[in-house]
Amino acid sequence: MFERFTDKARRVVVLAQDAARGRQAGTIRTEHLLAALFEVPDNLALAVLEGFGVTKADVLADIDRLPGAGPAPSDADALAALGIDLDEVRRQVEDAFGAGALDRTRAAAGRARRRGGHIPFEREAKKVLELALREAVRMTHNYIGAEHILLGMLHSETGAGQWILLARGVRQDAARVVVEELVRTRRAG
Amino acid sequence: MTDATRVAAAASSRDPSIGLAAVASLRGLLESLEELQVTNARAQGWSWQQIADVLRVSRQAVHKKYRRFGF
Repeated sequence: MFERFTDKARRVVVLAQDAARGRQAGTIRTEHLLAALFEVPDNLALAVLEGFGVTKADVLADIDRLPGAGPAPSDADALAALGIDLDEVRRQVEDAFGAGALDRTRAAAGRARRRGGHIPFEREAKKVLELALREAVRMTHNYIGAEHILLGMLHSETGAGQWILLARGVRQDAARVVVEELVRTRRAG
Repeated sequence: MTDATRVAAAASSRDPSIGLAAVASLRGLLESLEELQVTNARAQGWSWQQIADVLRVSRQAVHKKYRRFGF
């Protein structure tokens, strides 16, 4: 399937991972694909969204308002919520085992690696990419572009990406018409 | 807000993003502390059984988790 993705569509998929990591998400979700659309200049999905009056600022604000959004607290802040003073624990451990003992453990290294490493796609986000293929086939396009990813997001049960777009008035049938229009004029011009 | 009142407010929060993050951080701290203590115990010649008894887990559990450390 990925061999049919255009360069821009590939960029969207890659940047969705950055969008997820930047939000400290454990999986790449549909809202991260949506955010990534805005990071790839001049793609047709952006032209469609512009047609619906949907701006990057609106969408990013919507994403920040999703449940569980916002940066995760640091370990020190999170443990403070339980009345545990991480700095004090660290001091005690370092007294016994030497400077940096806590952070040198394999357990700590593993956690750091997981935070920086590969982030898997959530089921709904994978589904959006499959639906992007289906949208392309339906329009008899022999490639999958950012615009097809957007259309893939407008199916039911694709998660937060769809809720945000629907709430902003982006409807599947209307969006399809706009995409076909844009592709036609682009070919003509 | 002082640190103390901020902490008190957080502790009583029913916001899952705060409560769950606290559990995750506590688990991380627990893993690191356990690793340090098991490593230290092995270095002092403790058997897997002795370590397991004090940790209140089975010998197999502690051995399986730490044997890859090579001690």
